[in-house]
Amino acid sequence: MTTIDTVDVSRAEGVARGVSRQARQATLLIDGDIHPSYSVEDIKPYLDQATYDRVKEFGLHAHAESYPRVRNGGGRLDSRAVDQEGTPLAMFQRQLLDEYKERVGILIPMGGHHWGRERDDLAGPMCSALNEFMVHEWLDLEPRFFCTLQVPMEHPKAAVAEIERYRNDKRFVQILMSGHQEAEIGDQKYWPIYEAAADAGLPLGVHHGNDPRGRHGTGYPSYYTHEHIGYAYTLTALALSMITEGVFEEFPKLQVVSIEAGISWATGLQWEMDTTYEMVGREQPRLQARPSEYFRNHFWFTTQPIEEPDNPDDLMESYKLTGVLDRIMFSSDYPHWDFDAPDRSLPTSLTKEQREAILGENACRCYGIDPLTGTRL
Amino acid sequence: MSEIVHGAIDTDVHVEPPSIDALKPYLSGYWLEYIRGARSQLGNVYSPTLPTSARPEAREAGTFPPRDYETLKTQLLDPYSPRAVILNSVSAFSAGWNPYYQAAIARAVNEWMANEMLAKDDRLRASICVALLDPVAAAAEIDRLGSDRRFVQVMLPIRSETPWGNVRWQAIHDACARNNVTMALHAWGQPGATPTVTGYARTHLLDSVSNAQLVAPPQVVSLIVEGVFKRNPGLRVCLQEVGFNWIHALMWRFDKDWKSLWRETPWVTDRPSEYIARNFRATTSPSHIPSWVSSDEIATMARFVNAAEFLTYSSDYPHDHGNDGSERLFEAVGEVGRERIFHENAEAFYDLNLVSAR
Repeated sequence: MTTIDTVDVSRAEGVARGVSRQARQATLLIDGDIHPSYSVEDIKPYLDQATYDRVKEFGLHAHAESYPRVRNGGGRLDSRAVDQEGTPLAMFQRQLLDEYKERVGILIPMGGHHWGRERDDLAGPMCSALNEFMVHEWLDLEPRFFCTLQVPMEHPKAAVAEIERYRNDKRFVQILMSGHQEAEIGDQKYWPIYEAAADAGLPLGVHHGNDPRGRHGTGYPSYYTHEHIGYAYTLTALALSMITEGVFEEFPKLQVVSIEAGISWATGLQWEMDTTYEMVGREQPRLQARPSEYFRNHFWFTTQPIEEPDNPDDLMESYKLTGVLDRIMFSSDYPHWDFDAPDRSLPTSLTKEQREAILGENACRCYGIDPLTGTRL
Repeated sequence: MSEIVHGAIDTDVHVEPPSIDALKPYLSGYWLEYIRGARSQLGNVYSPTLPTSARPEAREAGTFPPRDYETLKTQLLDPYSPRAVILNSVSAFSAGWNPYYQAAIARAVNEWMANEMLAKDDRLRASICVALLDPVAAAAEIDRLGSDRRFVQVMLPIRSETPWGNVRWQAIHDACARNNVTMALHAWGQPGATPTVTGYARTHLLDSVSNAQLVAPPQVVSLIVEGVFKRNPGLRVCLQEVGFNWIHALMWRFDKDWKSLWRETPWVTDRPSEYIARNFRATTSPSHIPSWVSSDEIATMARFVNAAEFLTYSSDYPHDHGNDGSERLFEAVGEVGRERIFHENAEAFYDLNLVSAR
């Protein structure tokens, strides 16, 4: 007798082997990487007229070229807001929150990555305006959405003011930082931001961002494929800098979420940091523990784009090898071309406990979300 | 400190000329005047004061890396009886930013290597040093030496101004392929070629770890996506002194992205991991396995990176990577795996022609 478990169905068609969609979905589903779009026109109501006029006349200065995405222009074909009836918010609700029964979706606008590095008198107001836009046009209208706070990271004083402004608004769950900042990310220039973040109990959400400075060590990629794979190494550089500069000794409560950068590289990085530290650690008087301990105690990870070993079971083996299995959180990257569906992207071999941890429980711990109500504690 | 394996093919051993004076027979009058006027010295990316630059016995002997054949023989060849050794000089990495000077120094180092090392022992092979700022001059040097089968490889730094697959380097790709020499991407780079956004690595820990974990993987991506192996299907690339415990994470993400993004680079006709398995190898030292990692975890890592097929043994003499766990890795791959890593993989990959090189 043929059981449903032995029927060969294509993963590419997204059909799970013998497991119903409901069974594969956790009771609590949190999505850690959702990208709303926004424009200068969107934030106009929240900008003063003179600033708006200046931007329109002289343009922006810190906008690095992004790589052409030879895949639907970078988005899901069915998720272009301009093709849809209603607001972008309605599309996100319909295609994501309702479709997959997501309890919480964490929005990550990325204005901080480029607007946040304009001169101080543009960067601060534009980040503030984008935060206000997110409050009024998204968060006030949909309680299932949380958001990532935009801060002018190259202007730490203004960034701290923005953190103080929103630290009691529970809907902002983390602070956007770029992996392509102007100084070393571990540099004391940024420590006021880290101090404020740790004090407010808000993790830094780090997403590969605009890269205005080239790629030291290799030079610029030619292709988006190369750039996209390179997100992992942006976050590797960030972890190395923050750990070696002693950021986590100074701010023991600070947490960092690595978004869209993969996970399996975390093993090699920790192994090499530790063996090398044994040899050259005398140059690191600020460090009180081996580097991997800081890594395991301070970094969290989102899954998308989920790594795909030939044998899907190797994914969980690899997650275990990283030592950060309990810090891995599901993300979809909606509405981008490489969207990972919550019910189909994790390997079928995961246990119920493993699935529920990745799909929701780990994010509850990271962001202080009540697993019963989906609200922030 | 890891034990050096006896009787292996050792694919990364460091030697350098004793001083810039040793290169004088191979430099023109112009460069002799230039060097005299500037009081130039040979560069050294491995500062002698760094704990990683020399194993205790090399440090005790006084000079490191070996700067003449007798020292190499005493320190490495006699005690460990390697079947063959690939000698690397990286002093050309530090020959400044004058491309003509780089070319002159690279050529002189190659002549020194041939006369002072390769001529004295049939087991020795070497990497060709080239001008890193002038791909055409580099290709000419590869062509000049390529028919001498003792030169089996071209020495390039893992760090570059432009990714190594870029068309800017095409003359080097082509020269390696037509001369049947391996392209080595070896740890470190030219002065200032740091992996950080500011261009200054602040500590050796960050600087050192970056070679493997941060710089090497994108170089592999670049060589594949830019079609280097479409143009030169037989080109071989050896990743040297940059570890290997990052390669599985790269393959899993690369293969996945390629399924959708192949339209951007349709000349990448095979899965990226297949190019990595076919066209790339990595040397074993440093293995970067800390003592707190369990044997089961090492076995898992060895399986993920396909260690028995992918790695070629290296001592990285005289460098000291501390307790880097390479013995435990060799244990994990079993006897067949060890035979491949110690001998077969290098012999096949490098076309070493061990009977008669000349």
